[in-house]
Amino acid sequence: MTTTDIPVTPARRGGATGPKRPGRPGGRRREGAAWVFLSPWVLGASVLTLLPMAVSLYLSFTDYDMFNAPSWVGLRNYTQMFTEDPRYWRSVGATLRYVVIAVPLQLAVALAVAMALKSMRRGRAFYRSAFYAPSLLGASMSIALVWRAIFNDGGTVDNLLGTGGWVNRPEWALFAVALLTVWQFGAPMVIFLAGLQQIPGELYEAASVDGASRWRQFLSITLPMLSPVVFFNLVLQTIQAFQVFTPAFAVSAGKGGPADSTLFYTLYLYDRGFVASHMGYASAMAWVLLLAIGAVTAVLFRTSRSWVFYADEEGR
Amino acid sequence: MPGNRTTRSCALLVTLALSALLTACGGGDHTGGGKVTLRYTWWGNPDRAARTDQAVALFKKKHPGIDVQTSFAGYDAYKQKLATQAAGGDAPDVMQLDYRMIDQYASGGVLLDLGERSGVLRTDDIDQGLLATGRLDGRQFAVPMGRGTEAVVYDATQWKAAGVPLPKADWTWEEWADAMRALAKRTGKPGSTDPGQSEDAFEVWLRGQGKSLYTEGRGLGFTADDLTRWWTFSDGLRREGAVSSAEQTTQLDGSVENTPLGRSTALSDFNWDAPSSGYQAIVGEGLTLTPMPRAEDGTPGQYFKPSMFIGAGATTSHPEEAAKLIDFMINDEDAAKILGASRGIPVNETIRKNVVPVLEGFDRTVATYQASVEGKLNAPPQAPPSGDSALQNTFTRDYDQVSFGRMSPREAAENYITEAKAELR
Repeated sequence: MTTTDIPVTPARRGGATGPKRPGRPGGRRREGAAWVFLSPWVLGASVLTLLPMAVSLYLSFTDYDMFNAPSWVGLRNYTQMFTEDPRYWRSVGATLRYVVIAVPLQLAVALAVAMALKSMRRGRAFYRSAFYAPSLLGASMSIALVWRAIFNDGGTVDNLLGTGGWVNRPEWALFAVALLTVWQFGAPMVIFLAGLQQIPGELYEAASVDGASRWRQFLSITLPMLSPVVFFNLVLQTIQAFQVFTPAFAVSAGKGGPADSTLFYTLYLYDRGFVASHMGYASAMAWVLLLAIGAVTAVLFRTSRSWVFYADEEGR
Repeated sequence: MPGNRTTRSCALLVTLALSALLTACGGGDHTGGGKVTLRYTWWGNPDRAARTDQAVALFKKKHPGIDVQTSFAGYDAYKQKLATQAAGGDAPDVMQLDYRMIDQYASGGVLLDLGERSGVLRTDDIDQGLLATGRLDGRQFAVPMGRGTEAVVYDATQWKAAGVPLPKADWTWEEWADAMRALAKRTGKPGSTDPGQSEDAFEVWLRGQGKSLYTEGRGLGFTADDLTRWWTFSDGLRREGAVSSAEQTTQLDGSVENTPLGRSTALSDFNWDAPSSGYQAIVGEGLTLTPMPRAEDGTPGQYFKPSMFIGAGATTSHPEEAAKLIDFMINDEDAAKILGASRGIPVNETIRKNVVPVLEGFDRTVATYQASVEGKLNAPPQAPPSGDSALQNTFTRDYDQVSFGRMSPREAAENYITEAKAELR
């Protein structure tokens, strides 16, 4: 990422740029035009995001079964979640296990494929699209169902490896779902590829003149130069992984089984909200998830100071 | 950046398209070329789907001004989707309902009072006791469509081939367990689906002990000891290999295709009588029904229950047409011929008299089976309280912990009781 990316600052009215020209034609009109063009976003953000968020915050302090009016219960949903609900903690455990397995694996695969593509001379565009396709398809229910069929007993994996089904064993099911995520490495891969192409070739030339091995070059040039991109992908994919829903829903037929092994946070949230009709409890869970993701992201940002290296930081 | 302008115009286009889509969603509902369109949703298997589509086609022919869009799913998926739609105020115009849903949906104002549509929807021919199960506070929120009872579904051909004597109509849980052991020993396949995961099977066993799932005050009608005994019994059979393994049981999702019997990895199953027709395409002609096992002293736990209900959404824009469709599904002679016993034996007395003698295939099996237990069962329990819908899943999940060896039957049972008390609060 170079400095040319800095967005053009929009024309400012009066103030710092100089004395306000009296009666400048079009000032108001331009502001109006801006609102017109912004309106779909403003409308979407307020009606579809901010309002539901406010409602959900309110509901998290109530007992609400979706059919009758919500009744205020204060912090009861929160205390119940932390102290009386063993299944809640199982869902936290499953989610953390999943994040820790799926995210690093996915990023490693994405980086490996990006590096292979970078050195490729012909057909790069084809492979880039081919590897990106799963990211477009992966979130869909149908792929998750296919995944279930592949990893079920009597499915493809069972026939090839003779390991029995994966999705019906508590110790394997999580791994099958994680693989589905890893398979959708396309989006981070494209970003890695862009990052790799920004690394100046002279660095590698100089390193090979000095006799550095491939591995050495990877560790001393590629990774440090790429660290801002790695960081970006890490944050993005971690946030996504915390919210994983569709694959687990399809693979476990909505139950988070076997034996709660794929009962991810969002799946349990859905279960409480839409199956058990405890919308207040589900809303409280959603807010805790939001805070948890915020905290994890903050931690990532804090650690990034010690390992993310920006080229323009030199000499600072 | 050179691509910036293109990106922005693309983004703008996408935004505009989305806004257009949103507007379209808001307004484009009920009019398809001057016709009234009804949404009719239900759960079931492909056999029921084929017959329902045929009946609906006939309805459209008889009422050219009404179009009907049907959609169906397996029970679990249907239950979740309907709850979501109802919560969003977007319940279908006409919907199939379960006994367990009536209390919650009716008290939540999701259902239309069908009593107000008695001009179109006739209920005189329906057994009054049965009709009352769809009533709450004196209002008729749903009409029963059929009568059903649970059964052990098995493939008589395979049982005979295995040299295991066919079940007697008054067999006990111990005799049932012995048959499962014998089947497993002779064929190498488990005899049945593990009954431990099923709240329905547990209820039959429990009623055999003279207890019930719920008390009249919406509390639990059994203790952790009862549940521990039930789960110890089923867990033991699973360990012996007499019933399906945890890996097989955990794949149950409410469809017959994903049961061990449907996957040809076991030789029998527990199910309601009418939906058992779904096994036929997989198992073949040997498919037979026999009553659920009784307690050791011969007390039956099984009962007749309204197999399912049909109701209309309170927010429908076409209550009149919705009532017409319901009337057609319940009272029309031609529809009855098409539908047969796919939703249980019909509740309309006239139709029952006309239809039952001419039933064919598995419908005939269901009718014969119901006749064979007529008068031998105890009275049904009252409709379950609204928390029960979630508890059905909790029951299965808690037993999962037992069958995968992560909890003892005692631990899981105490877990369940705690959760149930919170749910029924």
